[in-house]
Order: sequence, then C-alpha cells, then structure tokens
Amino acid sequence: MRIFDLVSLAGSNLLRRKTRSILTILGVIIGTASIVVMLSLGLGMSRMLLESYQNYGSLTMINVVNWSWTENDSSHELTDECISNFSVIPHVIGTSPALSVNVTANCGAYTSNYEIVGVSQDYFSQLTLKSGEIPKPDQGTLSLVYGNTATGNFYKKNDWANPRSVDPETETIFYQFPDASNIGSIDSPEGNTSTSPAKKYILQTSGVLAGEKDAYSETSMRCYADIDTFKRFLKKIYKKNLVPNPKTNKKGKALRYYVYDSAYVFVDSMENVTDVQKIISDQGFTCYSNMEWLKQAQQTMGVVQMVLGGIGAVSLLVAAIGIMNTMMMSIYERTREIGVMKVLGCDMGDIRNMFLCESAMIGFLGGTTGVLLSYGISGFINMFLGGGESMGLFYFGGGSNAISYIPHWLAAFAILFAVVVGSLSGYVPSVRAMKLSALTAIRND
Amino acid sequence: MLSPIISVKKLCKIYHIGNNKVYALCGVSFDIYEGEFVAIVGTSGSGKSTCLNMLAGLEKPSSGSINIAGKRIDRMNERQLVAFRRMHIGFIFQSYNLLNSMNALENVAMPLMFRGVPYKKRTQKAMKYMRMIGIGDQADHMPNQMSGGQQQRVGIARALVIDPKIIFADEPTGNLDSHTTEEVLQIMREIVRSQKKTLVMVTHDPVIAAWADRQLKVVDGRVIEVIYNPDSEIEKRIFSENGSMPFCDVAPNPTLIGEENESVPKKERKK
Repeated sequence: MRIFDLVSLAGSNLLRRKTRSILTILGVIIGTASIVVMLSLGLGMSRMLLESYQNYGSLTMINVVNWSWTENDSSHELTDECISNFSVIPHVIGTSPALSVNVTANCGAYTSNYEIVGVSQDYFSQLTLKSGEIPKPDQGTLSLVYGNTATGNFYKKNDWANPRSVDPETETIFYQFPDASNIGSIDSPEGNTSTSPAKKYILQTSGVLAGEKDAYSETSMRCYADIDTFKRFLKKIYKKNLVPNPKTNKKGKALRYYVYDSAYVFVDSMENVTDVQKIISDQGFTCYSNMEWLKQAQQTMGVVQMVLGGIGAVSLLVAAIGIMNTMMMSIYERTREIGVMKVLGCDMGDIRNMFLCESAMIGFLGGTTGVLLSYGISGFINMFLGGGESMGLFYFGGGSNAISYIPHWLAAFAILFAVVVGSLSGYVPSVRAMKLSALTAIRND
Repeated sequence: MLSPIISVKKLCKIYHIGNNKVYALCGVSFDIYEGEFVAIVGTSGSGKSTCLNMLAGLEKPSSGSINIAGKRIDRMNERQLVAFRRMHIGFIFQSYNLLNSMNALENVAMPLMFRGVPYKKRTQKAMKYMRMIGIGDQADHMPNQMSGGQQQRVGIARALVIDPKIIFADEPTGNLDSHTTEEVLQIMREIVRSQKKTLVMVTHDPVIAAWADRQLKVVDGRVIEVIYNPDSEIEKRIFSENGSMPFCDVAPNPTLIGEENESVPKKERKK
C-alpha cells in the first residue's frame, strides 16, 4: 500500500468519528500544553536567572584571590609573572591584575572613600562605558573610569544620614592617597615619613560605566585606572615601596616587585569557565566566578523544571491512555471492516500501520494545537504576571521579564513527543487489529 | 490433458468444543479446473462454509492438503496467505461487506489500493469493471444509498478488479430477493464464461446451485453427491481432454445407509 493511501485512509477514519476524535485530540492538546507551559515557566525562570547574573557581573570572568595565610610563602603570590602564566591556559582570552588602593575623595565639604583599581586593557575591554573613553595604556597622566555607583555616597562630616552623589564629569574631586606604611620606610631613608598633611591630587576623569546610579554590580562601586599608568603614579608617591601597604620579605623589607591581592582571568565562553577555574585552583590559588553560583542556581532550577515537567507529563499520560482507549474502541467497532480488508488481501503490516498512523495523527494534531495553545497561555502569563511581583523574586533583576519562555526547540520537541506518545499508545491496539481473524468478517451475524 | 487449478486431498477440519471433537469436514478430496463454476451445496452445519474458508486460506485445515495454482496454501502462514489472496483470489460476501465510508468506486478500487496501484490507475480499472457489470452510473453512490442487488454488484466488481484466477463466493445471493438473485447469478455465470474465471460458490439452496457447472453436495462433512450440469461446455471439454470427469471422492450418503445398499453413491459417480 502506498503511504499516501495509508495516511488518507487513516485520516478519513478519524473524520468518520468526529466527536470522538476531537475529544481524544483534546486530551492530547491539554497534555501537550500543560507540559509545554510548565517547562516554559521553568525555562523562563532560568533565563531570567542567567540574565540577572549577567547584569550583575561577567559570567566569563574568574576572580583569583591570594590569601597569604603565611607571610613567608611566596610560591602563591600573585605576581605579574604568575598572572601572565594564566594567560597561556587554554580558553583564556585575557588576564588582569587588580592593584587596588583605598583613597579618600573630597568634593567641597563632602567626603567619600572608595578604591582605585589598576587593571589591564583586557579588563577594560569587558566594561561598557556610559560616556567618555577607556584610558590608553601607559599614558602620561593618570585618568579614572568611574563605576556607576562609585561616587554615590559622599557625606558631609557629622552628617552621615544625608549622602549625596557627585558627578565626576562636572565636579572636581580631590584625592588623598593613604600614608605609606611604616614597614617599608624604616629602612628607606627616602621614605616619606613626614607628618605633613597628605598631598591632594586632582585626577582626570576618563569615563563613567554604563548603568543607573543605584544599579549595584560587581564593577559599579570602584574606579578604574590603567595598571601601568597607575603603577607609575604610585611609584612617585611611595617610591621603592611601590604601593601604600607593601608585602614584606623575610627580613621585613618591602618587596621590590608587585604582589596583588587579586587578579582577573577572562575565559572565551561560559562553558569553559569551570575547567579554567579548576586549573587555576590546582595551582594553589583561590578562585571565584559567578559561574559557580549560576551553576548551583541552575541545578536547583533544573530540579524545579523536572518537577514542573513531571506535573505536565502526568496529564499527557492520561491523554495517552485516552488515545489507547479510543483506538481500542475503534478496533472493536471495525472488526468486520478489518476482516474484510484482510480477506481482500490487505497486508497485515498495512493494517497495523493504518492504525498506528491514526493514533500518530491524533498525537500530531493534539501536539500542534497544544503548542499553539501554550504560546497563547504563555503570552497571557507574561502579560499579566511578567511585569509585576514576579520581579521581586530576583532582586538584582532587569532584562527580560518574561517568566514563561517557549524556545523553538521546545515547541518542536513537544510536537514530536506527542506524535511518539500517540504512536506508542496506538501500538498495542494496532497489533491487536493486525492479528484479528479474517473469519469474523464473513461470519454473517 | 488439463490439470486442475484447485486440488484438495483428504481435507479434514476438527473443532474442539470443550473436550469434544466436532468433525466439520472429514476427508474431502476433489479437483476444480480453470473456467469451472462449482457450487458447494449443503444445509447449515454441513461443513460447506468451513470448506470454502479453508480454500480461501481463512482457516487452517486440521489435516489434508490444498493445492491452488501449484501452491500449497495449507502450508502458508497468515502473511503469505494475505499476499496470495491479494494476487490471485477474489471474494464475494453474503452481506456484501462494502466499506460505508467509501463510495462504490472506491470500494471497488480498494483491493488495488492494497496492491499499491496509484489512485488514477486503480479508479480507471474499477470503473471499467463497474461498467461491465452494469453499475457504471453508481460510481459515486455510497453503499447505504444502494439496494442490496446494487451493493452485491459492487461486491462482484470488487472481486473482479484484481483480475483473479479464482473467485470465492459465500452465499452471494443469501440476502437478495429472488429476482435480483437471478440477475446476480446471471452476471456471475456470464463472467465465468467470458473471462475464463474459476468460481467456487457456497450455497444452501439447490435451485441456486443448479446454475453451476458442477454441484458438490456436502452432508456432515462429506461430499455425498456430484451433480453435473448437462449443458455445461466446460465439463464437456474437461471430459474430452482428460477422458474422465473432474475427480471427486464421493462418500456414501449416511442418510441412505441401511435403507439401500452401498452401490447408490457409485451410481452417482458414474452419472
């Protein structure tokens, strides 16, 4: 038998019993829609989660920290050499040390404290600016890129309750760098040990990071400077100590090279973050990445999704039983017809395929309509729930607020799944039809 | 020398009902030649339908052999039997058994669909046979809009459409009035003669059976009498080619045993 004949025969059989076919298909529609909607909720939530993490900080960045528990252990010091070693790890696209100095900033009567962090151009390339430009490498004068919330907390003395924010692009900020610590200056005659009031600097503003004044993120609370320019600038203040609070060697002398508290490693894609992180931590460093948190959150999300999908699957199971029942009924009704077909030489396989085709069609029609319905439901959910309180769940949210999200693969998969479920539940009835005796057809009762 | 198209040897069918064995057919042997119209006549329960079912491969014989067109159909499995019917056998039912969801033309074309013949080709062929049988104008009628006689004509066209060597008919006129019965039988005999088909018909009615070239009378699972139609061309031809009438093993008539001597069936055979 030709496939076209098989399909059209199956189709006409469905049309013959419209009410029953529609009811059976309705079961599949509800089953498919419930699975798709449930999964779409899970997917939507996990996408929101991902986006909120992305907003909070780069997901491809690893933060390497050096907690020097033992003063004399120099093997795990984060030095320039050691950071350049990170850059040869596969999938690493960039590295940056973080040379951070706490500064006091004054603007008129207002004061604030924040960090200036010297970072490499690799780090700058990860940032998006609202205005201005990224400082050029190793330029003549020190210029800063401000985090969008860095200058938001300037206080008047004795008036902590009323902070104000300063716009670094229009207002002038005077910076005071911390005094050089004593450790280095004891042996250093040139060391600046005077008690004269600390010198004030005006630093050029190069740019401001993108983001609202109150949108906190990993990068928003600090100022950034080009590492080489910053080193040179600090050297002028602290001379041989290099930094305000230098690490010391065994003799208690300040080290003559840079040792950083933390460094950043950038990875080419999210999938490789975990691998790279493992390599670095195997070298004895402590690392953090947002990916870790995201992974954990996604694992939890996965469980939630499975539970939701499971709830949907139950209704599809009920629909499958419905299909089976319908097909069984159909076979009892058409016993004679099947027998006649067999007597007239219809191949047994064709009879089976005809019924399989019928149940697969029920699955397909139900699946397709179910997917369309779930797009509708999903749109409905997003319209009425998406904008509102659901955002409360993700306090650092932002981005898309669709809590139900149906990707194309889910739609395709749902239809395919419905067809498979239809065929499977039609299998037993169709084999039964195939094995029916042809004799019953010609018995005249 | 003609050789038979159907050759049945010692065909037995035993049904097990509880612990009892019921002999539906006990040791029937006969030959049927191409072009013959054979009627198997008997009362209900005589085993005539069982015999036809086994010939058509719808039931398995308990013992004995059935040879149709050189094939041992008693040795075939169900799949092979279905394929065999699809290629060689037409079937006419008592209750027509047309599919109500299809119109007359589609019903007639159905066996060709099972063979995988494309739609256009099979409807052309179906139309040809419907015209031949005189129901060319009924092509797009649904079965429930047609009279019994018309439906049975559709059934006959459906049996003919695959151009089979052999047609089996199970009480084809059982549901028809006497007038249409005559028409239908006329058509069937005409087709057998003009198309050189072999027709095996089961009936309980001796009047209907008299239309056949040869009647095999079945009582209690045995052939007890063979009646030849004296006007039959094909029987005369078989006799002239083979020097004898078609082979049929005739058992003594159980109703006559005791009343007359056993020579009665032999006399029958010589007729």
